[in-house]
Amino acid sequence: MKNVAIPPAVTRLIETFSELPGIGPKTASRLTFYHLRGKSELALSLAKELQNLVEKTRFCSICYNVTEEDPCPICSDESRDKKVLCVVAEPLDLLALERTEQYTGSYHVLHGALAPLEGIFAEDLRIKELEARLRKGGVEEVILATNPTSEGDYTAAYLLTRLKPLGVRITRLGRGLPMGGDLEYADAVTLTRALEARQEL
Amino acid sequence: MHIRSLSLRQFRTYARLEMDFPPAPILLLGANAQGKTSLLEALAYLALGSSPLTHIDRQLLHWQAVASGMPFAQVKAVVVKKERTETLEIVLQLSQTTNGSPPRLFKRIRVNDRTVKRSELAGHLNVVLFLPEDVTLVGGPPADRRRHLDNLLSQVYPEYIEAQNSYTQTLSRCNALLRYLRDEGGDPAQLAPLEQVLAETGVTVSLYRRRVLAALSLHADQFYQKLTGGQAWLQLQYEPNFDPLAPPALDYQLGLLPQESPLPPVDVETLQEIFRTTLVKHRRRAIQRGVTGIGPQRDEMRFFSQEVDLGIFGSRGQQRSAVLALRLAELQWLQEETGETPVLLLDEVLAELDRDRRNYLLRLLDGVEQTILTTTDMEMFPAFFREKVLTFRVAGGIIRAVSSMSAPGD
Ligand SMILES: [Zn+2]
Repeated sequence: MKNVAIPPAVTRLIETFSELPGIGPKTASRLTFYHLRGKSELALSLAKELQNLVEKTRFCSICYNVTEEDPCPICSDESRDKKVLCVVAEPLDLLALERTEQYTGSYHVLHGALAPLEGIFAEDLRIKELEARLRKGGVEEVILATNPTSEGDYTAAYLLTRLKPLGVRITRLGRGLPMGGDLEYADAVTLTRALEARQEL
Repeated sequence: MHIRSLSLRQFRTYARLEMDFPPAPILLLGANAQGKTSLLEALAYLALGSSPLTHIDRQLLHWQAVASGMPFAQVKAVVVKKERTETLEIVLQLSQTTNGSPPRLFKRIRVNDRTVKRSELAGHLNVVLFLPEDVTLVGGPPADRRRHLDNLLSQVYPEYIEAQNSYTQTLSRCNALLRYLRDEGGDPAQLAPLEQVLAETGVTVSLYRRRVLAALSLHADQFYQKLTGGQAWLQLQYEPNFDPLAPPALDYQLGLLPQESPLPPVDVETLQEIFRTTLVKHRRRAIQRGVTGIGPQRDEMRFFSQEVDLGIFGSRGQQRSAVLALRLAELQWLQEETGETPVLLLDEVLAELDRDRRNYLLRLLDGVEQTILTTTDMEMFPAFFREKVLTFRVAGGIIRAVSSMSAPGD
């Protein structure tokens, strides 16, 4: 049945909103009608920012963090220690570590953690790219900074088997982090302590 | 131990119930579907952290809970033990989500007003629940017997609950990965960390099951001999799907009482390593089938009498006696293990037993601190028992004392 009472521009936006994670049909309608009745500047700037996000950002070809320039500011920063590499699951985890202002090494973003029940496997993560980076040489220590959850532990254990043959020192963030918690919500002091207390695997 | 009081809010048929229990045998009398079983279920729920009748917690909510604008259920009891008195509480709360997806059910477990993990509920309240459908336990599917064993062990050992949960969760991850490796290819080394967890937790599950079954077998045999007038013996045999120790047949000589198998001098780490390497050895087949074929998820527990497997060849009468003997063995085992008599919950069980077994069971209740029975028919009980039991009438989720006991509220 076609609904002629509501213009297609409205129904299309509702449908698009509901494709976003965590947004159901109700919220999608509410957001749509909010923009319909609200200030047009907000809707237009949202549209522009989304366009910028898609057109201007990409993944850094070295560390796979989100960036506007390639290589990213961290990878091209001469003062960062290239001998130490911190492996994180998500860009937000990298952000949390940067907030500590204590970590001066470089990063590698996996873009996920192993979660077979959600259909995320090793082949879906940037692991091959990490191996290639380590083969090039120059890295002496890899810090596995996946979440202290069962999925994060699983990912770290698997990475250990993949990276061990490459002959680098492999460490895991210390146990100061609350078990089951997320790195991205940890405070700077706790994270700094976990970094300092990292253990050789 | 005994239950001093029970409070229910919107649990099953009970909109609201406040009831005090005397430390004596209690009989709940009423027609079917009036709430007798639900009351026993509520107590078992506090002991196990999950219902023995359903694995879907939402079914425990009163049918009008959502419509009445109070989408929650609460079960709370005061348990009196030798050393202390404790309050146990489980609250189920249905929460509407803002984005239109279906409401989520939140479950909170509290012991003495402190929120705890499910595994921390172990040991605070112990019950032995005997349901009419339990008579099919001996001949029914093995999963029923495993769940039964799990429920018993979960009442005592938090470490068993944790190992069991971790094993089950890792197993479903592992099976999802195996299907992916079969259908899409991919690096089989992804299995290694999961196999490690399966080995660590699986050995714990297996050792606990072995230990409890050895003890239950000895007790059950004694009760079975009494139930059969010394005519027959009973043994419970644990048949682990994977046994890193000796093959089980060596532990049990036919015609002899089963002895607790003397553990060969191997430590737990060695057992884990044997289990792990076996999983690795069977990887190829597991990938082909898309499922892990080895481990305690396939354990079996058998009832033998006079060299006959009662699950296959036992008569209905023999199977009933075997289940009754098992329940009584559990009662005794829990008592030995915890130093407290568990609360015995008998749901319509007498109807399933003949007169001799019925009287045998009723006389045994003298040694139990608190028993709660349900029935539709007072005539089922002999005079000697009717004299000492306190009777309550259950109708439409409301309970009233029949004897001169102070009437509980509704
Ligand atoms: Zn970069």
